[in-house]
This record gives sequence, C-alpha cells and structure tokens, in this order.
Amino acid sequence: MNGWLAGKRARIEGGGPAMADALAAAGATLVASDADIWVHVAPPPAAKAAHDLTHAEWRASLDAGLDRRFLGAKEFAEQCRARGQGGAILFIGAPEQALGADQAAAAGALGNLTKTLGVEWARDGIRVNSILTQETGPTLGHLAAYLVSDYAAYVTGAVMGIALDD
Amino acid sequence: MRKGETMPVPAHHIVATPPPFDAPPYPADIFAGQTVLVTGGGSGMGLAMAKAFAQGGADVAIMGRGIERAQEGAAEVAALGVRTHAISCDVRHADAVAAAFDEAETALGPIGLLANNAGANFPILADDISANAWNAVTRIAIDGTFLCSTEYARRRIARGEGGAIVNNSAQYIWTGFPGDAHSAAAKTAQATMTKKMAADWARHGLRVNAIAAGFFPHATSTAGRREGGTEVLQNMIPAGRTGSIWEFGWLSAMTCTPLFGEMTGQIILQDGGESLRRSLMMPDYVPPRERAEGPWAWQ
Repeated sequence: MNGWLAGKRARIEGGGPAMADALAAAGATLVASDADIWVHVAPPPAAKAAHDLTHAEWRASLDAGLDRRFLGAKEFAEQCRARGQGGAILFIGAPEQALGADQAAAAGALGNLTKTLGVEWARDGIRVNSILTQETGPTLGHLAAYLVSDYAAYVTGAVMGIALDD
Repeated sequence: MRKGETMPVPAHHIVATPPPFDAPPYPADIFAGQTVLVTGGGSGMGLAMAKAFAQGGADVAIMGRGIERAQEGAAEVAALGVRTHAISCDVRHADAVAAAFDEAETALGPIGLLANNAGANFPILADDISANAWNAVTRIAIDGTFLCSTEYARRRIARGEGGAIVNNSAQYIWTGFPGDAHSAAAKTAQATMTKKMAADWARHGLRVNAIAAGFFPHATSTAGRREGGTEVLQNMIPAGRTGSIWEFGWLSAMTCTPLFGEMTGQIILQDGGESLRRSLMMPDYVPPRERAEGPWAWQ
C-alpha cells in the first residue's frame, strides 16, 4: 500500500487480523518482542447500564481498557530507552460515551493518560496517541499506520476518533 | 541564564523527525483530476497546505486578501507541476466568496476540496484589541470559514458529489491563549463548527476535519521575525523542536484523501505536545500585561 512503516518492527496486542494486515501493508515487520511500535487494541465491553454491571465486569473493562495499556506502555518505553531509540505507542478502543460507564471511565482515563505520557516520554522520542472509535473499516488501519509512522512525528498526546459519533 | 533565555535541546534527548519534503506520505496522483481551493494559501501554513495537495496531484486555486502574495504562492505551487490560479478575495463577504469560487472554477474546473486557512494572529493584550481588530481576526476565521465552507458545500451538493474540507485550527482551542484573545475565540469556533458541519453534510458525502496545529514557523509567522529566529524555541516544546511546515501540510491533505475516507468531524492535535506541557509547580504567573517581552513573553 505504502512504505510508511518500512524498516519498523511493530508489536500488536489484542484486536483482530485487520490491524496486523494494515501495519504489514504499510511495510512494518510484525514481531512478538523487541519493537519500534506498540499498538494495543482493547475489545469493546458490552453496553450495560451502570447498575447492571457487576464489580467483576467493571474491573475486567478497566483492566483491558486502562491498566494493561499503562503497564504495557511502560514496559515498551523501558525497552525503547534501553535501546536508546524512540518509538510509537498507539491505543485503540471504543469511544468514551458509546457503551457503558465502564467504558466511559476506562476511555476517559486513557485519553488523559495519553496526553500525559505523550509529554512525559517526548524527549525519549516516544510518541503516544489514541484512536477511540467504533469504526472498523479501512480508515482505521490507515490512520493507525500513519500515527505510528514518522509522518506523524509531531503528533503526540493526541486523542481522536474517526466517525461523527466517536 | 538570562530571563527569557532558553537552553538548547540536550544532546541525549531523542527528537522524532518527519521524512523530508520530497517524500510525501501519499502517491503523486492521489488527488489527480481534482481541484483544491486554499484560502490564505499564498504564504505560511496555507501555502504548506497548497503544496501538500499539489504533491498529491491536485490543481490548486490560491485565494488571498492581496493578489500579489497569492500569485507568489501560486508560482511556488506551480513549480511542483500542477495547474494553479491565484485569486484576490476577502473571505468576510459572501458575494466576494461566491465570485472567487466562480473564478476558480472557470480557471481550473469544479472545486472538489477546500482548505480553510485564512486567518490572522498576533500578540496583543485583550485591553488593546480595538473593535476593528477584534472584528478582523474573528470574522476572517469564523465568518470566512463559514462562508467558504457553505459556498463549497452548496456547489458539491448541487453536483451530487461528495468532497472534503480541512480547517486550520490551533493547539490552544481547549485552553485559551492569554495574549491572543481574538484568535483564541476564532480558532475554537472553527473547531466547533467543524464538528457540526461534518454532521450536517455527512449524508452528502462531504467530510469536514480540522488540524489543531502547534507552532510551525515560516517566513511570515510572528515568531519568524523574532531576533535570533526560532532556534531558541526548540527546547520549550516537549517534542524538542518546532514543527516542520510540510508535516502540517501533509496531515491536512491526508484527511482529504480516500485513505482517511471514513474520517469526519475530527479535530487532530499536531503540536509536539506543546499544549499539554504543564506541571503543578510552574514559574510565577505573570499577566500578559506585565510580561517584559510582550503578551506572549517571547517577542
């Protein structure tokens, strides 16, 4: 498709094959360990009213939508620093208000975490961005590939959607 | 360190940089057969947008307040191998906007894409903004974006064809910008109208997005005239540098490509983390009125 990610190694956690295909189509090599790019895709939780959510369901959404993302990003950033090279982190998930209160909490927290880590790690050359959307079409893959490429070198701490109601 | 002085970016910091201007992110024919109209396209960020569209093969109508600057910009864009046309237009007047679209379409064919960049921006205390200055800055960006976007949309809807608009907004739309009240208001209006117009026109296949742009120095930017240039500003920004003007142009044009064909109503922040930089303990607050080097503190 294009060479946006030529020479880059990408590690993807979560999500389906479409994201892997999109990054590979942009020239990335998909890897399971040392990477220049870490993309985390969280599954959308079921849409339930807050009073119908058990604490276990609540916790599962926050684990996948927030905690695992922070811990994974922290580990990735440590590896980048150890190598003395920059990197790119991208979080993908559902919009804040699209599902239940669990998603609202997780995505809201993730958004402000994205802004915080983008600045905290800026001088490590590590960029951090989020796409919060319900879209699954080709734009998601293209946008993801663009954001983790050097073409987005001046984009960090950015949280965006794709469609109108994202 | 003297007050107002900054340190260079330390050598052990890693600064992410974009590919060079001659390696755009899309193929040279992605906009082939289309014409883009760029307001304020004769210089600065508008010219960067115009060049980015031209790198994708679009013919470019360059609209500016003054015809000379528009012509100079058009000549730079034409050097990239596309057809161009320079137009003088005050985007605050509906009749003038309609006439400019007519002229552009006569010269280059139907306007398929629109980039709203026309705007003004300068450091000034709110106390010192005259009614005229307020009206000029806000109406160029707010009324101008409205008039150009609606003129464009009516034409696209009449043709039964979709299209895409990209608006040049600013990184300070969520925080305010002390020392730049008129632009703070104007740029946020551009972003909020972006979302509503995207909703209004989605059923017509018209997409509307905006870039919340950080600091991209260019020959006509306020900071470009600062003594010592922009070199001393690099270390103020988390990314360790000011933006390269072509990466702004590319992202703007990218939102109009079919690669991002499902994207609409989005405001994309591109500022190297500048607007997000903060700490709970910061240097003493000095009101813009009392800043020794002017309202932005680095004039």
